[in-house]
Amino acid sequence: MRFMQWLHRWVSLILIIQVVLWLISATVFSIMGHHGMSGHQYMRHIHPEMLADESPQWSIQQVRATHPQADTILLTNVLGHPQYQVNVSGKWLYLDGHTGQPWQTDVNLAQALALASYDGPGQIAEVEQVTGAAEVVDWSAAGYRVQFADDLNTRVYVDAASGQIVEHRNTPWTIADWAFRLHFMDYSGERSFNHLLIWSAGLFALWFSLSGLMLLIRNISQGDFNPRRKPTWLEQLQRDEKPIASSCGGGGTCGLCKVTFTNNDVPTPTAAEKVMLSEAELTAGLRLACQHKVQAKDAVELANENVASHLLTLQNKRDLTPSIAELTFTSASRLDYQAGQFLQFKIPHESTVLERHYSLATVPNADNELVFTVRHMPAPKSGVPAGVGSSFLCRLQPGEHVEAIGPFGDFLLTKASSRQQVFIGGGAGIAPLRALVQAEQQSTTPRPAMFFYGARNSAELCYTEELEQNPHVTYVPVLSAVSEKERWTGQTGFVHEVAEAWLREQDAQQVDVYVCGPPLMLEATMKMLAELGVPRDHIKFDDFGI
Amino acid sequence: MTQVTRSSRWRVWHRWLSLIFGVQMVLWSISGAYMVFFDLDYIHGDHLVQEITQPIPASTSVATIGEVLNAHPHTQSVTLESLWYDGRQQAVYKLTGHNGEQLINATTLAPISFDEADIEALATRYYALPEPKVESVVYLTDNPPTELNPALLPIWQVNFDDFGSTSLYLSESTGEMLVKRHTFWRGFDIFWMIHIMDYDERVDIETWWLQAFIFGTFILMITGAVLLVYTISFKRKPKGGAA
Ligand SMILES: Cc1cc2nc3c(=O)[nH]c(=O)nc-3n(C[C@H](O)[C@H](O)[C@H](O)COP(=O)(O)OP(=O)(O)OC[C@H]3O[C@@H](n4cnc5c(N)ncnc54)[C@H](O)[C@@H]3O)c2cc1C
Ligand code: FES
Repeated sequence: MRFMQWLHRWVSLILIIQVVLWLISATVFSIMGHHGMSGHQYMRHIHPEMLADESPQWSIQQVRATHPQADTILLTNVLGHPQYQVNVSGKWLYLDGHTGQPWQTDVNLAQALALASYDGPGQIAEVEQVTGAAEVVDWSAAGYRVQFADDLNTRVYVDAASGQIVEHRNTPWTIADWAFRLHFMDYSGERSFNHLLIWSAGLFALWFSLSGLMLLIRNISQGDFNPRRKPTWLEQLQRDEKPIASSCGGGGTCGLCKVTFTNNDVPTPTAAEKVMLSEAELTAGLRLACQHKVQAKDAVELANENVASHLLTLQNKRDLTPSIAELTFTSASRLDYQAGQFLQFKIPHESTVLERHYSLATVPNADNELVFTVRHMPAPKSGVPAGVGSSFLCRLQPGEHVEAIGPFGDFLLTKASSRQQVFIGGGAGIAPLRALVQAEQQSTTPRPAMFFYGARNSAELCYTEELEQNPHVTYVPVLSAVSEKERWTGQTGFVHEVAEAWLREQDAQQVDVYVCGPPLMLEATMKMLAELGVPRDHIKFDDFGI
Repeated sequence: MTQVTRSSRWRVWHRWLSLIFGVQMVLWSISGAYMVFFDLDYIHGDHLVQEITQPIPASTSVATIGEVLNAHPHTQSVTLESLWYDGRQQAVYKLTGHNGEQLINATTLAPISFDEADIEALATRYYALPEPKVESVVYLTDNPPTELNPALLPIWQVNFDDFGSTSLYLSESTGEMLVKRHTFWRGFDIFWMIHIMDYDERVDIETWWLQAFIFGTFILMITGAVLLVYTISFKRKPKGGAA
């Protein structure tokens, strides 16, 4: 569609002048009508006299004798004077009906003919001998131009060889003739519309209007024409190519599209916002951009100010677990982020570019290395493609590039409270949680932290050593599908249950909880935290949707 | 970093106008392209027919003009030519007067009329493509097809079984081929109708709705031109970049 838009724009730039000329000339045609353009306003048909009134003295037998090859011999009269018209192999000859000699038209006859063909208000002003005329394209023979003095500036062309009226021309005709030149793009005056110039213009016009039609159809299918459907802020910001993330496509389920409304009457939160946003966020004017239509009075601020596009180069890739790979990138430009944030990756896929989000798995480091953990998403069943984004990243080779935008997200450490920090996660959720734990460790006064991490078996655990050796964290891995031969001595079951057991012993008001993991785990954990009475403002979560 | 709606009024207008006038614009360009790309002579069917009169042999004697005018005094013009009827090429006089045209035998001055077989033979002679295959010969007196000017009735319609479904229309009084039609002419006619928006008679170019559409398209183009200035003069920002 971007291509369509591009095509529509550039073709229109070339074409717009001609389209305007087409429209102007069409207006001329439509206002003047066939009759107005014909030049025949003051023209009247000359009916020949009855042949019996003045029979030819030169007989048709004599014509046949002198022109044995004639295909057709026509006897008529010019203002009563008999005339033979003889066609010999496609060429017409005109003979005087009394003498058999070539027909002659003198000035007087030309005038008389012109008058006979004229029923306007004017008089003859001037008679001029001419050979053809620029404004009578197919006529190049000798003849007369009889000029009438009338409101339309009529001129009548008379052909000398045949004594016939060639054409009437007048001012409206000249105007129409220019309109034809413009419309047919034929500036020779021949009014031909079969030539290279107009063929190309025709093709361009076809491209132009069809690309426009396609864009129109897209607009209709997007509902742009529904008068009640204004774009949401998310759509508006995306259209304006502003940095805003979304992984649910505006469904109100990913919570990535947070913006702050800075005008006085902030829209009332929707049901989705009450779920995705905390009370504090709501009172601070935060809303989900996908939940509110653009209103003229609204002013909206994006959360992430230093968002930019970065070209990442893969430096290193290793498997952490059978399903999770660790990818280390460097960025050509400096990227300042906070632990817990993510980047939006531009994944080239077939002819389009898809957007996938991946969280940074470490705190910012001096080498400006960017580490991600990507869970490979195999096809859930055969006949279904494997995950596009994860497959692309897992296939990427060191030295290769990918474009990413960011940083985004407010899955950040809470500030300035001395509460107990609790991290609960599973699967690919390890990435932001690990970064948060590292950040907490680096702070001047690290707060005590618990880290519950769920996996099915011990092979799925990663960064174990690092987490176990961190003096500020108590790391509790929980396995849900452990087998006998693993000789697992740690916790088993679902991670939220183990966390719940521990949390019950705590003051629910005195914990900050960070949750990130598979949807089912996330849901169960959120429910558990609500039951335990952990204040919603103390809970942060990141929903990966996987 | 406060955002304001930049949803340009121009774009909204451009869209709404295109919904109404853009569709006609598409029709104009499709019909225009058809008319431009097919050669007009081809559309006219000039390739389908040929001249059929031949010089009359000197041995054939024809009546004098005086004799013709004696029998038909109200004549304004007389044409001597040859025509195929009754199975051979014969000399004929075609008379034109206030009452239209009439054909008589140039030697005997006997009036000539055509039956279906004569018309078929004539049409086959007019037909210029190899292997003429006449599909039907119809004498039309009323309800002319849209491709025929009703003023020409009554008339003979000769249909050929060929690539372009050619139809030749021959005058009932003179046997002269007056009109030729084939598929591409018919297509042209439909596109012409679409182009001038006279869906009825296909001639009127002065209808108010045509003028309204021209005007509307003009406004559409102006809104488009404004958008063009906007979008092409401002440097394209890097995709998705905010910096
Ligand atoms: C804020 C945020 C942070 C994230 N951080 C991380 C992270 O750090 N690490 C990480 O690994 N992920 C992360 N994700 C998830 C990530 O963005 C992608 O959603 C994930 O990698 C899957 O994308 P994909 O393109 O590989 O799969 P998709 O192509 O989106 O497919 C998803 C799944 O559906 C299956 N599927 C495809 N087509 C069909 C079909 N027709 N019928 C049925 N099933 C089908 C695929 O096989 C796959 O299992 C994060 C997401 C968010 C929102
Ligand atoms: S886009 Fe996902 S919640 Fe708004």
